[in-house]
Amino acid sequence: MSEQKKSVMVPFTVAAAACSGWLVSDLGPMVNPVKPAVGLEAHDSHAAASLLGQFRTGISSWMFLRADLYLHNGVEMRLLTQDEVKAGRKGVGNSEADKAQLHDDSLIVTVVPPASRDFRGWIGDLERATSSYKDMTNHSHNNPRTTLPLFRLMTWLDPQFAPGWTTGATILRWENTMPGVRAAHEFLAQGLEKNPNSIAILTQIGFLYMRPLPGHPYSDRDIKHALPYLEKARSVGVGNFDKLTDEEKEALMETYRWLGLCYRDSGKPHEMLAAMTEGSKLYPEDPIIARFIETAKDLISKL
Amino acid sequence: MNPRIYTALARTVVLESLRRKDLWVVAILGFIIILTAGTLGFFGFDGLEIFAKDLAVTVLGLFSTILAILTSSRLLPDEIKNRTLYPLLARPITRGQLLAGKLLGAVLVSWIAFLILAVLTAAALLVFKVKFEPIMLQYLFGKMMGLVVICALSMTLSAYMTPSAGATMSFVFAFGSSMISRALVMGYDSAPEAIRPVFQLISVLLPQVSLFDMGGRVVNINWGPVQAWVMWSLFGYMLLYSSATIALGWVKFRKQAV
Repeated sequence: MSEQKKSVMVPFTVAAAACSGWLVSDLGPMVNPVKPAVGLEAHDSHAAASLLGQFRTGISSWMFLRADLYLHNGVEMRLLTQDEVKAGRKGVGNSEADKAQLHDDSLIVTVVPPASRDFRGWIGDLERATSSYKDMTNHSHNNPRTTLPLFRLMTWLDPQFAPGWTTGATILRWENTMPGVRAAHEFLAQGLEKNPNSIAILTQIGFLYMRPLPGHPYSDRDIKHALPYLEKARSVGVGNFDKLTDEEKEALMETYRWLGLCYRDSGKPHEMLAAMTEGSKLYPEDPIIARFIETAKDLISKL
Repeated sequence: MNPRIYTALARTVVLESLRRKDLWVVAILGFIIILTAGTLGFFGFDGLEIFAKDLAVTVLGLFSTILAILTSSRLLPDEIKNRTLYPLLARPITRGQLLAGKLLGAVLVSWIAFLILAVLTAAALLVFKVKFEPIMLQYLFGKMMGLVVICALSMTLSAYMTPSAGATMSFVFAFGSSMISRALVMGYDSAPEAIRPVFQLISVLLPQVSLFDMGGRVVNINWGPVQAWVMWSLFGYMLLYSSATIALGWVKFRKQAV
């Protein structure tokens, strides 16, 4: 290629690169539509959107796992296998003084085993010495607030990553302070703006209103504000139950539980019975929904 | 044993790497590190120090391992393919010396690339006021020893397989050995008594590359440096495993028709 051609090609290539960079911003609405698309999703019909979306989801999920790792100060944990549970092995559990209580620790153990359960001898000793390993029996967690920036980052990267919004809000609410509650509400409001039909986020907002904060304006359960969110989550869930992911189905079960509580405490047993009967069809094995049905029948009989 | 033979062979490997512009790859990867750090800075860095350190050690470990494997797994096949092995073997050196010299060169190239990346990463972390801790130095030494094991393994595999198969298997061992090791530990208790020695054998034979990675202690807080016996043990393991691996490579290479 002659020097003259090269000198023409360089600015042309730079301009083309700049143009493609500028056009990439148009992918935003496809990757993150404010409302779900009718028919095929953007990631079903646009290869670039699919690739970018998967990448962002992958990164956000990875960050979510890292946040859990940081809570354990780098000690990698794993769930016990079914065989281990059957064999009677217990998880490490957590300290009674631990305030985090962010997940169930009764079924988790360290990935690197303690010396007593490690057949590798010297290699095992070396791994325990070089990795971030310690005995986690009755362990406590690092302050969850240290992971908050990560939740900001993961929800910025992937606004559709509902666990990022809901867990981030739980951490903001964790210290039981008024600013924390406000920040949690604001955080979830941003999440809801990006995901107006997210059952998990709607339920989490309902949960925030239903969780009293002693000595503050939120000292009582705020049923009036919680109900619209929970009802919306219910209607979204019922209408799309077959399409819901496992996480969304779990969130919907929570929705029904909170709805039961709302209707019970607001003296609406008929609404409670209707909602719980509907919920029991979707979650026939849930003992709480079943108990709420009995409670609703009791309340109606006393009217 | 003439040390000049080894240094001369190692020097050719380093020069060849420079000629191939491998270090450009390192520079591009370093640029990616700086760019990532810049992106993190965009969010305001308060509270993201742990994540930044985590990202740094992950990227550093990943890139340096890739470079070490790609450098060492092509050395022998390239010499054979380009017929540059003939003039080398025409000199008064044995095939064992040739292998050892090439390994030394591969290790040097990997170390240079690793240190360049480490300096760039350290600069990116310094910008965000991540403090230096003694464990970071141990991390560097540990990773450098780990790279020796990876280079020896890659060279040996390239003697037994085609270059791409050797490189692929090296990637599997370098990134998957800790996963296999963990699966063995998890399955050991429930395994029948008769099979348990097989678990132990696989565990001993597997390259325990993850032992050299102290990233978890660097990233998280209050772990502190490891004791001296740990570093010496790692050094011993590196010597033992690399020697055994390269000896296996020599067994194949000494009889290989060129």
